[in-house]
Amino acid sequence: MATQDTYNYTVVRQFAIATIIWGVVGMLVGVWIAAEMAWPALNLDIPWLTFSRLRPLHTNAVIFAFGGSALFATSYYVVQRTCHTRLFSDKLAAFTFWGWQAVIVAAAVSLPLGYTTSKEYAELEWPIDILIALVWVAYAVVFFGTIAKRKTPHIYVANWFYGAFIITVAVLHIVNSAAIPAGWMKSYSVYAGVQDAMVQWWYGHNAVGFFLTAGFLGMMYYFIPKQAERPVYSYRLSVVHFWALIFTYMWAGPHHLHYTALPDWAQSVGMVFSLVLLAPSWGGMINGIMTLSGAWEKLRTDPVLRFLIVSVSFYGMSTFEGPMMSIKTVNALSHYTDWTIGHVHSGALGWVALVSMGSMYYVIPRLFGREIYSVKLIEAHFWIATVGIVLYITAMWVAGVMQGLMWRAVNTDGTLTYSFVESVQAMHPFYIVRFLGGTLFLVGMLIMAYNVWKTITGGKAVEAPIPAPAH
Amino acid sequence: MFLKHVWGLFANPQKEWESIRDERCSIGKCYCSHVLLLAAIPAVAGYIGTTQVGWQIGHREVVKLTADSALYISILFYLTMLVAIFTMGKLIHWMGQTYDAKQTLPQCIALAAYAATPMFLAGAIIVYPILWLDLLVGLPALAYSVYLLYTGVPVMMGISKERGFLFSSAILAVGLVTLVAVLAASVVLWDIGFGPQFTS
Repeated sequence: MATQDTYNYTVVRQFAIATIIWGVVGMLVGVWIAAEMAWPALNLDIPWLTFSRLRPLHTNAVIFAFGGSALFATSYYVVQRTCHTRLFSDKLAAFTFWGWQAVIVAAAVSLPLGYTTSKEYAELEWPIDILIALVWVAYAVVFFGTIAKRKTPHIYVANWFYGAFIITVAVLHIVNSAAIPAGWMKSYSVYAGVQDAMVQWWYGHNAVGFFLTAGFLGMMYYFIPKQAERPVYSYRLSVVHFWALIFTYMWAGPHHLHYTALPDWAQSVGMVFSLVLLAPSWGGMINGIMTLSGAWEKLRTDPVLRFLIVSVSFYGMSTFEGPMMSIKTVNALSHYTDWTIGHVHSGALGWVALVSMGSMYYVIPRLFGREIYSVKLIEAHFWIATVGIVLYITAMWVAGVMQGLMWRAVNTDGTLTYSFVESVQAMHPFYIVRFLGGTLFLVGMLIMAYNVWKTITGGKAVEAPIPAPAH
Repeated sequence: MFLKHVWGLFANPQKEWESIRDERCSIGKCYCSHVLLLAAIPAVAGYIGTTQVGWQIGHREVVKLTADSALYISILFYLTMLVAIFTMGKLIHWMGQTYDAKQTLPQCIALAAYAATPMFLAGAIIVYPILWLDLLVGLPALAYSVYLLYTGVPVMMGISKERGFLFSSAILAVGLVTLVAVLAASVVLWDIGFGPQFTS
């Protein structure tokens, strides 16, 4: 039973490396389509290089391939370390890795070919959806099976967040993807009309709330205390904001459908819950930042900690911006403009990507039993990425507000002041700035890939023994 | 003595922050000698720019605001800046406890007010309300304000440089949040009838 005495790091290593690779790929596609927005001729008149096909490829690659792999890697690492036990099943864990990679490859082929359900963030067609459901159920079995056979009496709070993320994403994916097939790569949603829209945005916003928030909060609650070598600031706060967060997020979806055919009362409910959501979101942010109070000296020398702290700051900023944008009068201006794109990226680049990168810088040297190749390169990555994010967000703020104002401007006789194409023309300089910001962020990711490459070549796979839990 | 620190903040920021710290001036005095005057620059420039000069989008005719509408907006803009400086000072004071800085509220407000100096001065460029020109002048001013913030925090708050670095970054984050709040508030105000009136 020698194998029972070590953690399963194999699957964690695989997902960690997948995180880096898909990060580079997803961000590269993002930069490419940002360039297409600024210089449309870059689609080269090739159908599968058009914005409409590459955009879902970009979102799927960064959210599900990059973010998803980071979540798999860290959740498998954290649940083993905090439960003092090996994963429930090595075979099932291996299935989740290869299954998830198969999903990603299927997406990377089918989306450019033009196969899509047209549901945002759920574009993949039904055969791939079934594979996702299978992988996800296997993931849940591995994760909760590991928790069930834990050696510690307590379930650490990071696992609560990971657990909520796994259960909710299973429910969201299965309900929203319910469809009637009409051939191998074509299907129709089982919901009709506005109900379809509501189910879609119930899914869409909770994908933000659980895939892109709860899971990454799990990361925050493990890696910030670990890297800072300090306990969580308030354990009570972490539990309170956990329950508040999962209760509130569920109801916020309708704010994606302001001023549509959705009943007005449902829109108002969505807005009110979005505003309430500020409280649990900031509960998490405060807990993350306060955990660092007293570890100031570390920040000077430790760029990994800087990744983590800045990511939590961006989390606070974007979870403040979100409720503001859900207010109907603000939304009337901001919706369908680039302000939304800026908001998404302050969350995606600032929060999700930075916290994942910080966690990977923590975990990868431990998985391969070597020091990181270069701390200086982590430092460089940090600054390049941060400047990139700031450029991106500010360009989109200005562009978004300008678009909103131009679209709603009317002459005294009631006709529109500007044609749509004039607003597109006015965006050109900001799209170039956005492209530059995105390019910087990608350069940071490439630096990370190089740094990780130099770290793991010559390293060896670590077999970490499981320590006896302290009581 | 009005505006006596302005030159020094450009010539020798480190020394100027020390002299601001040692002055220990009250909130009222800080506002009267510095904020009230400097915040008027973008407000007045904005009034002139939107009523007299105007701007163009594409090859359209020049857009201007009516005098009444521009006056309202300029006054609101002026008040917003005064409130924003105070709010930032208050938030710095509140966060200071976390960073072991034991400063009085006036010192924190002075930090916010003097760090904003380059942006107030650069506000003069709004007499030409042309977006790319304003960004060209505004962004370097913003960068210098950030620089002033990073140099000013350790001096004004009496903490080490390392801790000051983190504190300054926290102030920037709070500043971004405040900016978003102002943005959202403007959109709501616009919707309930405080929007601009254009000359036709």
